Amino acid sequence: MKIVRAQLRQFRNHDCTELDFGMTTNALLGDNGHGKTNILEALSFLCLTKSFYASSDAIVLQQGKDFFELRGTLLSDVGVEHDVRIVYESQTNHKKVFIDGKEPATFSSVIGQFPIVVLSPENSNITFGTPSDRRRFMDLVVAQSSRVYVEDVLEYRKALRQRNKILSDISRNGGSSALLEPWNETLVLHGSKVLLKRVRFFEEFAPYIMRAYAAIAHELETPQVEYVPNVETAPHDSPDVVGERFKAKLEEKKRDELRIGSTLVGPHRDEVAFSLNGLQLRAYASQGQHKTFLVALKVAEFFYLKERCAETPVVLLDDVFTELDGTRSQKLIALIESLGQTFITTTSEHVFHETIHWDDGRRRFTIHNGAAVQHDHEAAA
Amino acid sequence: MRYTSESVEQLVEEFAQLPGIGKKTAQRLALFILKLPREKVVTFAQALINIKDKVRYCSICSNITESDPCYICSSPKRTRGIICVVEEPRDVMAIEKTNEFHGLYHVLGGALSPLDNIGPEDLKVKELLARITDDIEEIILAMNPNVEGEATTIYLSRLLKPLSVKVTRIARGLPIGGDLEFADEATLSRALEGRIAL
Ligand SMILES: Nc1ncnc2c1ncn2[C@@H]1O[C@H](COP(=O)(O)OP(=O)(O)O)[C@@H](O)[C@H]1O
Ligand SMILES: [Mg+2]
Ligand SMILES: [Zn+2]
Repeated sequence: MKIVRAQLRQFRNHDCTELDFGMTTNALLGDNGHGKTNILEALSFLCLTKSFYASSDAIVLQQGKDFFELRGTLLSDVGVEHDVRIVYESQTNHKKVFIDGKEPATFSSVIGQFPIVVLSPENSNITFGTPSDRRRFMDLVVAQSSRVYVEDVLEYRKALRQRNKILSDISRNGGSSALLEPWNETLVLHGSKVLLKRVRFFEEFAPYIMRAYAAIAHELETPQVEYVPNVETAPHDSPDVVGERFKAKLEEKKRDELRIGSTLVGPHRDEVAFSLNGLQLRAYASQGQHKTFLVALKVAEFFYLKERCAETPVVLLDDVFTELDGTRSQKLIALIESLGQTFITTTSEHVFHETIHWDDGRRRFTIHNGAAVQHDHEAAA
Repeated sequence: MRYTSESVEQLVEEFAQLPGIGKKTAQRLALFILKLPREKVVTFAQALINIKDKVRYCSICSNITESDPCYICSSPKRTRGIICVVEEPRDVMAIEKTNEFHGLYHVLGGALSPLDNIGPEDLKVKELLARITDDIEEIILAMNPNVEGEATTIYLSRLLKPLSVKVTRIARGLPIGGDLEFADEATLSRALEGRIAL
């Protein structure tokens, strides 16, 4: 997939910005605080209907304005153009998405149609942060590769919130735990599906990480990724078998749950374990190993999505070179450029190798005060 | 924006309270009403008052009706041995449109939802149990295909199990997260035909 052009209206600090992109590398240059990341965020909206980090649509609306509008022309690998339009109004707090003029049945049905891979400074918490940071990473990959997964996760979360409400009511005011019964079954029904999807995903994803890590690390290190469920689940288990174990575990933890007032069993409490040569990454790895691991995860994500979605993901790199040395940056850029279309924000053009040729496919934009100016092409050498 | 007329202002406020209507739409509607002929406005206003004065709930099935029992409950043409349990009156309308179902209905008035403080005692569950006699052959559970509908289905099927009446639910085939109301007629007919024993 390629993003041919994008228009931003009243989005963050961009009042009215239009960009015609190159088909390989797009450099978004400029000083801090001028709106480079905001453009990547707009591209994320166009591809996923949402931001890769902002929690709400209201936050990205330009201060003092009552609507924002994004428009994009997206070109699929087989050459079909799609027109994506997103409009948000503050008065109704309502977002509308139009793909080729039609509203999709649900936002989640759009996820995966236009796959993207994002690497941004916040991503360091995938390897450094909590289990929930790792689950978020995993969810976005699985979601982009499986439409039903998004539905299953949303239903699971809903069942979980409903069940937690009963537990917290009982823990505070007492009451009959019989009310839990129907919600146990709903939780187990959707939770088992989520669990199996995740366990199967990691079985498929592991070789991609091995390959990606080998391609970018100099040392002989073996990365491992493992999904650690709190309800025992193997990739080839049937949903019913997982469901039975889930129920048994709920029964076992019932007293604790009633006392604490929330659900203690299920995929919302699972861990994703990363390790190198058998040592847990979080506890033992150096800064450099963390960084390499993260980049390997993203490269693996790229190839995984490319194969599963039958569509080449667009790669968004936000300020990722500040912590990498010059040769590493240039190696990474060269690797990523060979993959497909990339959007790279940086304050310093030096991250690009001086022999890079800015032509029609590789374009530079300077972002200043919420406006974008495209540089002229260089004359052919 | 303020209007020079208090009446317009008031009508805008009233419209703006309706679900899905923002301030701008409310203004458009109010100005539209202003341009209508008087008799049209009277018919409209009377329709609003009628819905409050004449409409009540059927004492058998809890559907909305103007005569009690409702025309479905009192029709000699309906199969009296089958009761289809739904969440809301609009679900009855959706199923009636398919012309596939000729039994009776029972409207629960919602689905279980602890977050909205809706428990079994807030739904017409006792009334449903009271309707189950030896003449009832089948209860069809036709809740919305979402987690609340699912939990309600599970709750009712457990409650009905000891009563030795056949309990079925409509097939999933409906779009996930959707409402019965929005399912097209063909999908809904298929869901009714392919019902599953519980
Ligand atoms: N909702 C908003 N309305 C207007 N301006 C915003 C909004 N959100 C962020 N900004 C502005 O956007 C700028 C940051 O943009 P960003 O894309 O993060 O910069 P950078 O070029 O460093 O990546 C800041 O000046 C901030 O004030
Ligand atoms: Mg930035
Ligand atoms: Zn009736």
